[in-house]
Amino acid sequence: MELELTSDQDLLRSTAAKFIEDACPLPTVRLLGDSETGLPPDYLRTVGELGWFALLVPEHLGGGSVSGEGVRELASIAEERGRGLQPGPFVPMNVIADALARSGTADQQAGPLAAIVAGESIATWAVATPTGAWAPGESITAADSGSDFVLSGEAGLVQDGVLAEWLLVTAGGPGGLSQFLVPTATDGITVTPLKSHDVSQRFASVRFDSVRVDGTHLVGNAAGAAEDVARQLHLALLLSVAETVGAMDVLFEMARQYAVDRIAFGRPIGSFQAVKHQLADMSLSLEAGKAISATATRAAQAQRDDALEIARMAKAWVGDTGIDIAQGCFQVFGGIGYTWEHDSHLFLRRITMNNLLYGQPDYHREQICVGQGI
Amino acid sequence: MTNSLATATDATPDVEDYRQKARAWLADNVARREGPVIHHDIDYYTPAVIAKNRALQRTLFDGGYAGITWPKNYGGGGLPAAFESIFHEEAHGYVMPDFGVLSGTTFGVCVPTMLAHASPEFLRSFIPKVLSGDALVCQFFSEPSSGSDLAGARTSATKDGDQWILNGQKIWSTYAHLADWGLCLARTDWDVPKHSGLTWFAVPCDSPGLTIRPIRQINNTSEFCEDFFDDVAVPDGNRVGDLNQGWTVTQTMLVLERGGGRSGDGRGFTGPGPLAPDLVRVARQAGRIDEPVVRQKLARAHTNDFVGRALGTRIGELGRLGRLNAGVAAYGKLFMGTYNPIRARIAVEIGGAGAMTWEDEDDHGDDVSIGYLNGRIMSIAGGTNETQRNGIGERALGLPREPSFDTNKPFNEVLRDAKNWSGKV
Repeated sequence: MELELTSDQDLLRSTAAKFIEDACPLPTVRLLGDSETGLPPDYLRTVGELGWFALLVPEHLGGGSVSGEGVRELASIAEERGRGLQPGPFVPMNVIADALARSGTADQQAGPLAAIVAGESIATWAVATPTGAWAPGESITAADSGSDFVLSGEAGLVQDGVLAEWLLVTAGGPGGLSQFLVPTATDGITVTPLKSHDVSQRFASVRFDSVRVDGTHLVGNAAGAAEDVARQLHLALLLSVAETVGAMDVLFEMARQYAVDRIAFGRPIGSFQAVKHQLADMSLSLEAGKAISATATRAAQAQRDDALEIARMAKAWVGDTGIDIAQGCFQVFGGIGYTWEHDSHLFLRRITMNNLLYGQPDYHREQICVGQGI
Repeated sequence: MTNSLATATDATPDVEDYRQKARAWLADNVARREGPVIHHDIDYYTPAVIAKNRALQRTLFDGGYAGITWPKNYGGGGLPAAFESIFHEEAHGYVMPDFGVLSGTTFGVCVPTMLAHASPEFLRSFIPKVLSGDALVCQFFSEPSSGSDLAGARTSATKDGDQWILNGQKIWSTYAHLADWGLCLARTDWDVPKHSGLTWFAVPCDSPGLTIRPIRQINNTSEFCEDFFDDVAVPDGNRVGDLNQGWTVTQTMLVLERGGGRSGDGRGFTGPGPLAPDLVRVARQAGRIDEPVVRQKLARAHTNDFVGRALGTRIGELGRLGRLNAGVAAYGKLFMGTYNPIRARIAVEIGGAGAMTWEDEDDHGDDVSIGYLNGRIMSIAGGTNETQRNGIGERALGLPREPSFDTNKPFNEVLRDAKNWSGKV
């Protein structure tokens, strides 16, 4: 959570907040669970018009940031999305827009990228394994077959896979990782919609049964996508962390206010040290989470060498403390927090799913050691 | 005395010119530092070491580089904070005065509090002594019967003509045995509620009747002292703040003590750096660096270290934006109070027997053992974690206070009734 956005950046953020409040506030989010698509009508097209998929894409490809600091801008929108538990493949769409802008072919940039930036076409990525682990290329392989490639395997946690027109597929092969942008309608691809713990996000599993693609589908170099994938992970971490911090902040504020308003044993429960101290500890974790999220975003914006390590730290910190805070808030709410009508479980669900996405804390801690040569 | 504010503004030098002059002066007058800044052990600071650093402080004072932001009419530089930053940047490679914890209590907490609340007459004679290194100030705050409950102080000050007679006992006064002065909280009225009968005094450590004794601590060193006041006479001119207004003065002090006075300027960001080298060394010595469980602990400590720094930077930013109060300032201290013991425990868990037993001739054999003990300091010193949580809960989060049984009652009645506490209101 950034304390010092520029006025342009803050306008972008407040416009996002206003849109969310008007178009998809929490009462609307609740109803999406039973809807067909999981999105309000025209949602992605509208946020596309607000620039939510354009900030990392250069102007000559139809994008553009408001301040030249696209990552910071995007993180501030992600945080507002977390505050309002917004649906839709925000992280995958931005990751794919960035990937196509950097490594896509001219055709990919003229076609899918332009449509993604406008919010007219939905793209998502197939990168997690069926268990949800962050292990690019382990569950999907690309075999050379003359000038073609044959994709086989399965991906889990594919966000909005059912709605997606395009899939960014990360596949392993003898020479290394390759990435392909493939229409979901391609022969051999089976998208299975899944019910999910998080009622405000939709997931699918995607099977690839000898899916034949050619070189025009490649994004970047065959067997040379490792760096691109690392960049995509980095970006996903920053946005996911910012979103989680936004959700934690709102949930915590609900609990704080409840501790002021709720009377028990003749006084507001927030006056009891047992409750007060728990809230103080939660707010310490939350303030630290805001700090490390903002630090990670700035480090990425400044292209520091250690920016990915800081993003991993942020993911680990926010992942662990987010779940602690959700539990602590549950304790403050008492019984009302176990009812469907109370919003707290919606936040608990999002915070928990975000912790699973893009690598859990243990995974990132191990990678921090590896990255440090330990 | 002319208008000091106008004088300071008129005299504000050119920034670049100031930098050049400071650079030249440092080169001519101060020794260059060999290697990085060393954080010395507690028992490094002896009277001889302090004396050496006093001489260095005197050199800075004579050169006009002591108290750069402090008022000119008291001997300071009267300059904006930017000039102090410039001097610190230029002085980076030089040996600077180091009084251990007394550097912080003197220049960071006690004297800034005095500047805000003591009389001009007192400050005119006192501040030059501070700036020239002749008045190091310790804190006579805690007492055996009042630690976190600072306002429950029972050391008494009784008026006798134009002086005050102090009686009682202070404790946890860091390096009082090396200090020249102590800033002392005393009760001047027992017949009013506890916050309304307190007054602060500046007390020379060599006052007749004042006995200062180092305490042997769990880490087998003596950083803290206990201080016995037996009819110690202090002139009324040494009073810091108005009579019985001590709690107002305390608020100034607590923000300074929790780090609120040191505003981060957002510059000089350094990344996480190498992963906890001390813990990695312990893991390698134990032959456990490849164990997944150990690696998780290492990365956890490294992450906590950096998150704590990021939090500190954020608190500094809040300070610059004018959004800091004592509650928010407490976050930094509660973070250390929470995570320092965890880090210390991680070292023990990784190092095992090899870290907790050692051969006599091994100079660093007890590093983990001592670190394990010292890791506890921040969860108590300067107010327990629980006190910080109250501060955060009530001042940063706006939660209502607990019912209080001592705020509206004369303090002497509080002491009487607390002995027979039944829980009935």
